[in-house]
Amino acid sequence: MKLRVISANLVVKLKTFYRERTAMFFTIAFPIILILVFGTIFLDRDKLSLDLYVQDLDHTHASAQFVKALELNGNFKISEVDPASDAREYAKNHRLNLILVIPKDFENLLNQRVDLKAPNASVTLMYIYDPSSTSVKTKMEYLDMEFTGMNQRMSGKPPFYRWEETSILNRKYRFIEFFIPGVIAMAVMTASLFGTVNMNTELLQKGIIRKLSTTPITRTDWILSNILYQFTLALISTAAMLLVSYGVFHIDLKINVWLLVFILLDVFAFVGIGMILTRFVQEAQSAAAAANAITFPMMFLAGSFFPIEMMPGFLQTFARLLPLYYVNEGLRASMIFGDNMAALRYAAIIGIFAAVVFALGIMATRWEEGK
Amino acid sequence: MAKPSEHAIEVENLTKRYGDLLAVNGISFTVRKGEVFAFLGPNGAGKTTTVEIIDTIRTPTSGKVRLLGMDVTKKKRAIVPRIGVLPQDFSSFDRITVRETMQYYSRLFSRASRLRRNADIDGLIELVNLKDKAAEQYKNLSGGLQQRLGIAIALVNDPEVVFLDEPTTGLDPRARREVWEVLLGLKKQGKTIFLTTHYMEEAEILADTVAIISKGMIIATGSPTELIENNTNYLVLTLQSVDANAVEIIRKMGFEPVHDNYQDLKVRVEHTEDILKTLNAIKDAGGSFLSLDVRRPNLEEVFLKLTGEALHAGPAEGEEVG
Repeated sequence: MKLRVISANLVVKLKTFYRERTAMFFTIAFPIILILVFGTIFLDRDKLSLDLYVQDLDHTHASAQFVKALELNGNFKISEVDPASDAREYAKNHRLNLILVIPKDFENLLNQRVDLKAPNASVTLMYIYDPSSTSVKTKMEYLDMEFTGMNQRMSGKPPFYRWEETSILNRKYRFIEFFIPGVIAMAVMTASLFGTVNMNTELLQKGIIRKLSTTPITRTDWILSNILYQFTLALISTAAMLLVSYGVFHIDLKINVWLLVFILLDVFAFVGIGMILTRFVQEAQSAAAAANAITFPMMFLAGSFFPIEMMPGFLQTFARLLPLYYVNEGLRASMIFGDNMAALRYAAIIGIFAAVVFALGIMATRWEEGK
Repeated sequence: MAKPSEHAIEVENLTKRYGDLLAVNGISFTVRKGEVFAFLGPNGAGKTTTVEIIDTIRTPTSGKVRLLGMDVTKKKRAIVPRIGVLPQDFSSFDRITVRETMQYYSRLFSRASRLRRNADIDGLIELVNLKDKAAEQYKNLSGGLQQRLGIAIALVNDPEVVFLDEPTTGLDPRARREVWEVLLGLKKQGKTIFLTTHYMEEAEILADTVAIISKGMIIATGSPTELIENNTNYLVLTLQSVDANAVEIIRKMGFEPVHDNYQDLKVRVEHTEDILKTLNAIKDAGGSFLSLDVRRPNLEEVFLKLTGEALHAGPAEGEEVG
């Protein structure tokens, strides 16, 4: 191993990267765009506010108070629908998934119930809704919960069933804080895998590897410089992602040595896979397609963007077989919860995987021509 | 103490197989220190396989190869710093400039200070006439300039032996001559140069010794003059734009005219009187041709005679190649 040779390689690769705008975009800008887009979409996920259209046919003080009560709990942003219009037509024409209709004698019925003139009096609120909407069920469930609460309070008796919440986690976290470790793991994976595959196939096809084999650089020097290069890119990319995330979303994630450990293991694992791929698929385009076949399932099934608990059981089992899952979980354990034991456990699993794959990658890398 | 060998390269019974294909078939030859040795043969003759075994890229199936007195299969690490290689179809990092590329390869070889290395690099860039292009990225260089950079890289460690595998293939005639200028400069410096080519003119101009290789075997070795004198005792009459009538007349006179790759007609004649007889016969029969040339045979004729096949399988002289 010669440091002079490794640093010469690193300089050439970094200069090439700096001058290759497409590579710059996909390594640094693209993950940041992902964070900005998804972070904005899910910004209010933890503080739910649903649009609710209400048609008040009663138009009385009581009905107005009722609407205000719905708005006050913070789950709904209320808009009024003209009482003169046909609610069904209005919903269709304005592409609304739900209109809550307050019937005409709302106040009268309420007063009868409260004054005990008619203790069994009830009012029927109407949901005019679009069943094809994916989010309408959630909205209706929230309304059901509100009305159950209101009914219970009107009864004047304390509830029998009460509950308390105790999280098993040290702290609650926002979606963006769940999302960012996943994007870091995913970005390092794609940069390491595609970087290795693209560079190796290009240099092999152009005969540069053949030329290098007539210089003092050894296969070990070459592979180490590649690892160092990918690790440097991963650090730059991660730093950029974290800077934007702290600046824009004010995230609360811990930066500690585990971050470096998981980035390094992520790099080793996927550079190793890249080296194996380029041994068996030597055409640049086929190698890129093979790399896509590996990264795509990993991206969507390994829990980078959403928890694997949202997936069916067999997919959850499959997800636990994917190396990226352990990088995701390891990063979350350390960055969100500061759980060193969990991070150590995940690091051990991905570390063993990376060691095996990287060793195979070294064996698979051709330096001199075959016998 | 053993006397150092006068040979830079010693090849003995070298064989290389790729599965069922016998690429190199038991060849033996030596290259003296300080000479330009050309391996001449058509595509697929075994030139590149042989040179890549000698310069340590490939391993032989059998046979012995000694380079600078060392076994190439066992002493790669000791050999590599003492040789320079321009592989066939040389290429480099697209977005790295000429100077940066030279600096990169220089750092791979040298522990010398940056100042010293840069001075050497300046000298090499000047030698291959790339001073104006020093800040140009590799991808923006023409084929000829890229080959000249390849040669400069092959010299970056001041090697004792330089291997140049088809350094002018794919270049237009002008670029080819520019590369020859560089190689003649190296020859003057006394470098041992192992050159493979399928351009006979290149071998004739540059080489002290030529080995003609065909189908994995060396069929003749010697200086260009020796090869021509030993293998030919005739003159070559070349006629341009000959009509079919004239070809028939020449055949009837007992000669065997052949068209070369440029569609010129070549006729071998043993005596100068035969030339006059041939021309008169064509004239009397009303045949025509555009121009004529009479000269002694060259290596291409030698190759034709020895192998029965055309040597020049590449693009025709004057044809622009991308």
